[in-house]
Amino acid sequence: MIKISNLEKYYKTEEVQTIALNKLSFEIKEGEFAAIMGPSGCGKSTLLNILGLLDDPDGGSYLFNGIEVAGYNERKRAQLRKHNIGFVFQSFNLIDELSVFENVELPLIYTGVKTAERKERVHQVLEKMGIMHRRKHFPQQLSGGQQQRVAVARAVVNNPKLILADEPTGNLDSSNGNEVMDLLTELNEAGTTIIMVTHSEHDAKFSHRIIRMLDGQKVTENVLV
Amino acid sequence: MFRNYFKIAWRNLLKHKGYSAINIFGLALGLAVTIIIGLWIVDEFSYNNHFENKDQIAQVMQNQTINGTVEANEGIPLALEFQLRENFGDAFDYIVMSSRIDERYLSLKDKVISSSGRFMQIDAPDLLELDMVEGTRKGLKETNSILLSETMAQTLFGSESPMGKSVVSNNEHTMVVTGIYKDISTNNSFSDMHFIMPFKHWMSTRWGWLENQDSNWSYNPFFLYLKLSKNADLVAVNARIENVKKDNRPGGDTFNSRLFVFPMTEWYLHSNFENGEQVGGRIENVWLFGIIGLFVLILASINFMNLSTARSEKRALEVGIRKSIGSTRRQLIYQFLSESFLVVLFAFIIGIGLVVLSLPSFNIIAGKEVIFPWSNAMFWMVSLVFIGFTALVSGSYPALYLSSFKPIKVLKGTFKMGKFAAVPRKVLVVAQFTVSIALIIGTLIVKDQIDYGKNRPVGINSSQLIQLPTSSQDFSGKYEVMRNEFLSSGAVTKMGWGTSPATSIWNYSSGFEWDGKPTNFDESFALMAVSYDYIDAVGMKIVEGRSFSREFATDSNAVVLNKTAVEYMGIQDPIGKYIRGTAAGPDDVPMQIVGVVADVINESAYEPVSPQMYQFGQGTGGFYYLRLNPEQSTSESLASIEKVFKINFPNLPFRYDFVDEVYAKTFAAEERVASLANIFTILAIVISCLGLFGLASFVAEQRTKEIGVRKVLGATVTNLWMLLSKDFIVLVMIALLIATPLAYYFMSGWIEKFPYRTDISAEVFLIAGLGVLLLTVVTVSFQAIKAAIANPVKSLRTE
Repeated sequence: MIKISNLEKYYKTEEVQTIALNKLSFEIKEGEFAAIMGPSGCGKSTLLNILGLLDDPDGGSYLFNGIEVAGYNERKRAQLRKHNIGFVFQSFNLIDELSVFENVELPLIYTGVKTAERKERVHQVLEKMGIMHRRKHFPQQLSGGQQQRVAVARAVVNNPKLILADEPTGNLDSSNGNEVMDLLTELNEAGTTIIMVTHSEHDAKFSHRIIRMLDGQKVTENVLV
Repeated sequence: MFRNYFKIAWRNLLKHKGYSAINIFGLALGLAVTIIIGLWIVDEFSYNNHFENKDQIAQVMQNQTINGTVEANEGIPLALEFQLRENFGDAFDYIVMSSRIDERYLSLKDKVISSSGRFMQIDAPDLLELDMVEGTRKGLKETNSILLSETMAQTLFGSESPMGKSVVSNNEHTMVVTGIYKDISTNNSFSDMHFIMPFKHWMSTRWGWLENQDSNWSYNPFFLYLKLSKNADLVAVNARIENVKKDNRPGGDTFNSRLFVFPMTEWYLHSNFENGEQVGGRIENVWLFGIIGLFVLILASINFMNLSTARSEKRALEVGIRKSIGSTRRQLIYQFLSESFLVVLFAFIIGIGLVVLSLPSFNIIAGKEVIFPWSNAMFWMVSLVFIGFTALVSGSYPALYLSSFKPIKVLKGTFKMGKFAAVPRKVLVVAQFTVSIALIIGTLIVKDQIDYGKNRPVGINSSQLIQLPTSSQDFSGKYEVMRNEFLSSGAVTKMGWGTSPATSIWNYSSGFEWDGKPTNFDESFALMAVSYDYIDAVGMKIVEGRSFSREFATDSNAVVLNKTAVEYMGIQDPIGKYIRGTAAGPDDVPMQIVGVVADVINESAYEPVSPQMYQFGQGTGGFYYLRLNPEQSTSESLASIEKVFKINFPNLPFRYDFVDEVYAKTFAAEERVASLANIFTILAIVISCLGLFGLASFVAEQRTKEIGVRKVLGATVTNLWMLLSKDFIVLVMIALLIATPLAYYFMSGWIEKFPYRTDISAEVFLIAGLGVLLLTVVTVSFQAIKAAIANPVKSLRTE
């Protein structure tokens, strides 16, 4: 599903150029659950942003479902993103001014789904995440665990093929963290490809494969299953 | 999609109530000012607009060259009418001779009403497109006929029909009502006309002549209105009639009079002439206020942009999230534009509320009768375009700016405004304050100039002096009797009589000779006939010689000059010298100069005093001047004066004016403009300060953490206050530097127009500068101090 080869990314400040990704290559198959680990600054998040089409690489190739997307412009990226990719962030990133229902509904609005169908699909996914009773609340009225469930619900409401999770349990206590990991596992079992960046060895164990990075390069790969 | 946008926008507004209030109210205020100014401008342009044939109606005027300067005059001679009818009739549908607007007492039995109207020829009702309630437009045929406005008819006759009934004009002429016309709308040059009587009636009563003086080119107190024929070309007509007076006047025309047709469409806004050229008029005020309105709207829009972009850091995260879940940049631009549209719409509704509330007061200040155009489709169309435009202009910068945020940066929390992100905002603040400061300087200079005119010595002692109009024939020959009675009543200490108001000129004359008069000197003197006691009664100052006196029998042929006249004539030691000439008296008796008085302002406080002759006279017309007894209360004196008046003139209403009030009215037009400009300037400053306040609160919020850290490290409240205020003060200082020369340049151009003018003082700039700085400090300090005294532990926890 995803194949990157010799991917490069630099960050330039006024005087220094930092290499974030250094000729990185790997492949992720459809239906896989991969964890990316490594110390702070090793390029994990940069990688995730490029995979999620939020950022573009400075070199190398990125094949998404066999199509080269490395040179896509903002418009094309947004188009691909909204139909195929869901995001789960460490800090949830819900919109404070929108209710639970409205937050989850948002991706459907952007993909042009009709009102009645939107309502049905949001209700389905909220039901599945066990937060139906909270649908009229606003993010700041929920616990961290509940907020992350909403974020996951929002990520999957469009039935994306790929979910990118950036330290999804980083802001949660262990029991809430485990619940979120169980959710992701369920989604994966239902066929969604998941790539997760994490610091937690515990969380990484939920995945099929751990890619370890250092200084923008892949150092090891452990297959767990 | 849009529902979602509006929802977010609405909740954002509610969440930040203070910010929303500033943003919406500021814009509402700006819109209200712009709408009011817009309505005012529309009203100005609609003056004289309701005449169906407004493009064909015109007045004949003449440009006369007097001592090298060309003066445009409305007054034309009687003979012109005959020439035009005789030789140029094909160019005109109607030719109507008219008096200027005049006052008459109209009485029915014991009811006496003072009314204003005109004496006009028979085609006047057709020319003026009068809407007849009773009778026809042909009602001025008989010399003793009168047309009344509906209001006047009701005042006099109540519910009974006035047609065919008689009213008495000025207690002596019986007129028969031959028509009633609907009141002429207020918004035109003929609006205060409540009666029309035949021109020939006026000619016979006032001038002692009947019409058909077809060779009289000398007297120019008549007005001539025209309706041009449908296809007449103004330029061609002007070319044809230009020299009619010069060519026909027996003995030639020393003033090189050139006639021209002045179209009605230009009467109101373009009525100023300078040296024979049209040089604007009220249109300048229209421009002035139009520019102020535009500026105020720009100021309010700048606020909106500034506050929106300043808040963008708060919205950055939302932009990032939306982008990550599939929003395109275009959708974000739509979102922010629809938000801006919502705010502008909201502000517009509040703005309309403000307009409706303030219109009555505005009308009083502006002397207008502007009503809110609820049912005017055009207004709503313009408003819609206006809302769309304002929303687009004020929302486009935030929309384009916010939507350009890089999602990964804002999501990661690494997003920081770039070093130069605040630059456009700073530029906008400087622009805003440049405009505000320039407006302040402008209004201060306007006020200075008006005060300068007001403080100019008038030349008479106008306080506790009243004038009684004596235009009725009833006053004829009664001056001495009345003087004795008023003086012996104890209410009056001095009394005099004169043909015109003490500070105006009603009559110019030429045709004088004196020893040493330069050759080719086309003199023109302001002329006023006065009684023996006038000069003393009004408190004029004798500079040389003496006033008129009963002790000198020869004083009936004496003349007193003002100082300017002596200089104008170029004579040394004027006392005892003679002035001769055709205009000096019926028998050309030489007039002896017996005194010179200090100048009395006779045109406008902003114009030089005209050379003036005071001749001795004892006729009718004009005014009694009564100086009230300072030992008595004013009301007591007025009561005694009224009593004496009523005993002698039981059929006339007792009317009087205080001379100082009459004089003060000459400033009304300037003061009106000044007070409007004042109000709009204050609103402009309020809007700017609202914006600054919002921005300051924003910066304080933005720097909460920094303030906390600094406080922990030992910064005092004063240190922090300076830190937060400094930036804004620097911006306002820059604005001050830009605004000062700009304002100086434009205002010196404005003030040049007044021959009698004040100097633009440095004080004005100092006051404006210090005032705005003080206002800035106060506005900014409120937020700065609030942030500075906050508990640092709290502020550090906000991250």
